[in-house]
Amino acid sequence: MREKKLHLKNVMKSFGGRKVVDIPELTLGTHGIEGLIGPNGAGKTTLINLITHKLKMDCGQILYYTNGDGIDISKKPIDEIARLGMVRTNQIIQDFQSLTIRDSLLLSLATPMYENFYNIFSERKLRKTVEQEIERYLDYFRFENPDGHALSAGEKKLLDIIRCLVLKPKVLLMDEPTCGLPQDQIELFIALMRKKTAEEGMTMLIVEHDLDLIWGVSENVYFMAEGEILIQGPPDEVRKNETVVTKYMGEGSA
Amino acid sequence: MGQILSGYYIYMLSILVVYIALATILHAQFGLTGIANFGLSAIWGFGMYACALLIVKLNIPFVPAVILATILTGVISMGISRIILDLDSQSVLVGTLAFLAIIETLVISEKWLTNGVMGLGPVNYPFDIGTYTKFVYFLIILIFTIVLLFYARKLESSPPGRLFLSIQDNEPLSQSLGKSTFRRKLVFFAFTSALAGFFGAMAAPIYKYLFPKYMGPAITFTLWIALILGARKRIFGGLVGVVATIGLFDVVLETVVPIPSKYAGILYNTKYFLYGLTLILVLMFRPSGILGEKARSINTANTGKIQKMEG
Amino acid sequence: MTFAMFLKSTIIIGLLESAPLMLAAVGFTLIFRLNGFINIGYAENATLGAYLAVTLNAIIGWNFYISIIPAALFSGVLSVLTYLIVFRPAMKRGVGPTEMIILSVGVSFFLRYGISLIWGSRLYNFDIAKTHYFTFYGMGITSTQLICLGFALIIAFGLYAFIYKTKMGETMRALADNEELAMIAGINPIKVSVVVWFLSGLAGGLAGIFTGVFTWVNTGLGWHMILVILLVAIIGRVGDVRGALIAGAGVGIITTAVTLVTQPAYGVVALLVIFIAILKFRKVRA
Repeated sequence: MREKKLHLKNVMKSFGGRKVVDIPELTLGTHGIEGLIGPNGAGKTTLINLITHKLKMDCGQILYYTNGDGIDISKKPIDEIARLGMVRTNQIIQDFQSLTIRDSLLLSLATPMYENFYNIFSERKLRKTVEQEIERYLDYFRFENPDGHALSAGEKKLLDIIRCLVLKPKVLLMDEPTCGLPQDQIELFIALMRKKTAEEGMTMLIVEHDLDLIWGVSENVYFMAEGEILIQGPPDEVRKNETVVTKYMGEGSA
Repeated sequence: MGQILSGYYIYMLSILVVYIALATILHAQFGLTGIANFGLSAIWGFGMYACALLIVKLNIPFVPAVILATILTGVISMGISRIILDLDSQSVLVGTLAFLAIIETLVISEKWLTNGVMGLGPVNYPFDIGTYTKFVYFLIILIFTIVLLFYARKLESSPPGRLFLSIQDNEPLSQSLGKSTFRRKLVFFAFTSALAGFFGAMAAPIYKYLFPKYMGPAITFTLWIALILGARKRIFGGLVGVVATIGLFDVVLETVVPIPSKYAGILYNTKYFLYGLTLILVLMFRPSGILGEKARSINTANTGKIQKMEG
Repeated sequence: MTFAMFLKSTIIIGLLESAPLMLAAVGFTLIFRLNGFINIGYAENATLGAYLAVTLNAIIGWNFYISIIPAALFSGVLSVLTYLIVFRPAMKRGVGPTEMIILSVGVSFFLRYGISLIWGSRLYNFDIAKTHYFTFYGMGITSTQLICLGFALIIAFGLYAFIYKTKMGETMRALADNEELAMIAGINPIKVSVVVWFLSGLAGGLAGIFTGVFTWVNTGLGWHMILVILLVAIIGRVGDVRGALIAGAGVGIITTAVTLVTQPAYGVVALLVIFIAILKFRKVRA
């Protein structure tokens, strides 16, 4: 168990009268890899959007813990939350269409001191500083055309993940990261996640429909349905829980 | 020789070069960062009028007046952008257009300050070397424009350029990577607008007497047409576009090939008629412009090959 | 003048003067509601309508009221043509909303300077026989102008009723809200769009004619209106015809009030400042 990272209190969101997220109390980040599962429409993506403030919650409070103190991030802008160390990947593919793969990573790795409008000569220094790291990732995941753009949907998803990883986040929220990835990349991905959470102190929350993956990789699992977190615990317990079995494992992949 | 160098020919070339600078600035704002600024000519005109007022009414010498005008323009631009830049793209366009209308209206109505349509001036050249004065001043402006083009070129393949591209492509995604996109846009817009103000101040002696029409919507739209025609995403798009429009109509047709004055009106209308047609055709059939889009490659920064790591 | 008088004359004159504007705003909003973009070329519907009417009336010699009909109809046709030849193909090619605005500027230039090439740059005035002059709260007005204003108001409200109270109007709104769904329900998007663009052009043309009756007809007629039309449409919550009507009236009243107190130029400035303020306020609230 680790120090908790996120604490949600009374977080609620409704769309047109329908309650989409309703969480009286939730603590996240106590384990290296945590899974979030649930049927479609349960509110998982909405929850992540609320935490990263892509969506405004109707009421409630979200506390983020670094170095012992809890900061209320409910009103902070998206970019500030990312700078505080909480980053998310996207379920629907997001990319920068003019940027190549290396461009994307150079963008992500560039710290503010490189990016002022007058820093037109800082490219060389940036590349020298980060090129090793970029090459490591490009080699590890074997992109088809590392000098060019991400071609397939799978590559774009991977790029999304790597962009987030190079930021060295403290908390990484991943929304269906393996959906669309070929099996060999999925295995590389899992191995990398294990390494990072074990050695670098990162905490991960994965939203997934691939239950085998969840049971295999998570240390703690949350089950969400109809906007509420109904069950939480170690994977073996959650897996056998009656509500989960009836509400969810009947449908979806197992 | 002296006649050519001090005549109308040099006047038109100087204006042409100023427009190239403005179109390049528009590229930086719209083509690179995605800010649809329909008020660029008002910002430029503001710099021009500010400089002229400082010189004519307060007797401030030329160089300090230019510097002051540039700074003032930057400040005003920061004010506008703080208000407008966090709105969506269409609102930015309409908001900057509204700003243009406000400035133009005020310049015309506040005659006590600007002399309205009677003209403000005279703004004289800062030095006098006889027949070669205008030519030398033209060279000075040309050098500044070349420096601007160099800056734009370097910017594109540098970290800030990449950041601006990311803002244009997908601002929320850029924010989710921790980039303070609003603040960056604000500063960059203020900086580039200050540059526009600078070129405005520098243009004042070329015109000698300033009229509100120099900053009106016609100029803004001409610049936009030039940029879209040239290639909005290419640094030299502005240059190509301005040469193809203003260069063709105002320099070649009116200066080098003189048009009898009875056709002046028809030429004027035909010019804008063709501009409109060009804009329609380009946006429908070749939206990326004459120069098209450039593929970004690993060598964009030309900083040497990246070494592949072993193991 | 007392404050009460000021208020009364401001409101009444403001409403009267803004009748063509309200009509223009409604026509403009129709397109935004349906197709989702700001069409600056709409200005030229007004200009062309006015030119056609004035040609029939002052040059050829027809009666004013008769000239209005073919002129307005042709404005509608022109509007449909710009839709079919330029805007619809552009949308199909995936041109984004900002670029569509720029494209519409191109259409505006094309039409406006085309008009200049055909008609030249002189001013035209309508030739209206048998007018009576009134003074109305210190403002001189002819019976023709009053009738035009009346027309403008009637048509504006007529369009409003059409959009919200008829089946066709309902169809249009359905199409505007969700094209795919509407097509599944059997609605033909092209047919409905053509009707909308025709009505929009009609409204614009009439608005241009009525404006020309008050001042004169020249190539800048539509262009001078377009900025204010834009403001009205956006203030009135673009896409809401009701809002356009209210905002149009509001704009007319405010401009009149400011003009009475200071100069006409400040009226425009006040308007623009209010406009930007509303944009911001709305965004913050959303």
